[in-house]
Amino acid sequence: MKKRIKEFISDLQDFYLLSYHGFMGVMRRPFYFKDLIEQMDYAGSGSFFIILLISLFIGMALSLQLSAELSRLGMKMYTGKIVGISIIREIGPVLTALVFAGRVGSGMASELGSMVLGHQVDTLRVFGVDPVKKLVTPRLLSAVLMLPVLTLIGDCVSLFGAYYIAVFVSYQSGTFFWSSIRDILIYENVLAGSIKPFIFGFLIACISCYMGLSTKGGAIGLRRTTTRAVVISFIAIIVSDFILTRVLLYVLGFSV
Amino acid sequence: MIEFDRVSFSYGNHPILNALSFSVHEDERVAILGGSGDGKTTVLKLIIGLLRPDSGKILIDGEDITGKTEEELRDIRIKFSMVFQDGALFDSLSVKENVAFPLREYTGMTEEEIDRKVRELLRRVGLEEAIGQMPEELSGGMHRRVAIMRAMAAFEPKMFLYDEATTGLDPVSADVICKLILDISGQGGGFIIVTHKMFDAFRLANRFMFLKGGRMIFDGDRETLLESTLPEIRIFLRELSVDSNR
Repeated sequence: MKKRIKEFISDLQDFYLLSYHGFMGVMRRPFYFKDLIEQMDYAGSGSFFIILLISLFIGMALSLQLSAELSRLGMKMYTGKIVGISIIREIGPVLTALVFAGRVGSGMASELGSMVLGHQVDTLRVFGVDPVKKLVTPRLLSAVLMLPVLTLIGDCVSLFGAYYIAVFVSYQSGTFFWSSIRDILIYENVLAGSIKPFIFGFLIACISCYMGLSTKGGAIGLRRTTTRAVVISFIAIIVSDFILTRVLLYVLGFSV
Repeated sequence: MIEFDRVSFSYGNHPILNALSFSVHEDERVAILGGSGDGKTTVLKLIIGLLRPDSGKILIDGEDITGKTEEELRDIRIKFSMVFQDGALFDSLSVKENVAFPLREYTGMTEEEIDRKVRELLRRVGLEEAIGQMPEELSGGMHRRVAIMRAMAAFEPKMFLYDEATTGLDPVSADVICKLILDISGQGGGFIIVTHKMFDAFRLANRFMFLKGGRMIFDGDRETLLESTLPEIRIFLRELSVDSNR
């Protein structure tokens, strides 16, 4: 037990150091722009269609559920408002981050893991290249830059899905739906929804890179690494979402 | 150039090296022999600071490297060129980009100069045709040849470190790699090769070290090795008699 606690603290310390050096790498030469563009392409355009698809159906399902429930209470006209707040503040950022962790995070962990096992990371060190700067910083930066963009696109698509159901299935007024959405696009809601993807992107990249670079034990080790990266990222997203929501509600003056 | 002073190393609770001491001069041709898990590759990794010993000192040109940071180790590492088992080519880069990698990192060469240098290096090992291929398209022998040329590209190392350079290769490919190693060594500079293939070790080296259970049980020249009565060494020497009986 004591040994496990020791290992956990040591892992936490290594994770903190990797995250710190990965982040600080943005401010130190050399800058690996080509790697950054490659990673942004992998993280961004590679995840675009899956996020589009999932966001569309989540928006439609949410609108369907709320329309059904609210019409029983005679408050169907509030569908747009509730869907909008849910998507912009909560579901959009969290859902996109979960998909991103599943697709991009697992890819980062397995790629770095296989580089470790194939001695490619050692080769970088032999050549005097800092593996954190070369491998972690571009991945971290690409996640922090691309996740907010994907979240924004996902939010828009979800809202269109919700609009489609509200207007063509639930027969609500399209004009009223959009005016409800416009009403909730206030500074507090937009800020609450747009801060989260930056934090989630940072967490996903740090966790995945850390897991990848600490891979040991061949193919089984690689499988363990990838699974752990995804599971821990999921937990980190959900827990940090709760903490961020609590903090943002307090800072932005919402009463609970 | 390299001095190990009572170096011990373990992976977690599993001891690998136990108070290992030896020294190697930069123009020597050394083969480190031993079974799997006896710490041969660990020795190479300790020499260039990829691993840190639990205790003891490692001196490179008289300088203790055990307490050095990654930044400080850069100056030590450029004295060596290490070729890992299986070549360790970057699998996301083409053959050309792999060989060009150290040139881009360390030299201010133009694209034209890099292209010329890469072609020249690949021509030397008969792989100019493979310049545009990806590592996954290469055979084991080609992998090692590209890796050796990559290791030579940017620096003029004092010493080469080869980790199982011929392991897993067919005799023809192993022969090509051995010739290449001897060719490079012939231009000056020694090497340490880690192997469990006695035949290749005899062909390449003039000094032999034998590791067993984290200790060095033999350190000497060819003749002394052949006369050794240690059972572990005799098992390895059987490979030579099999080879000469063919």
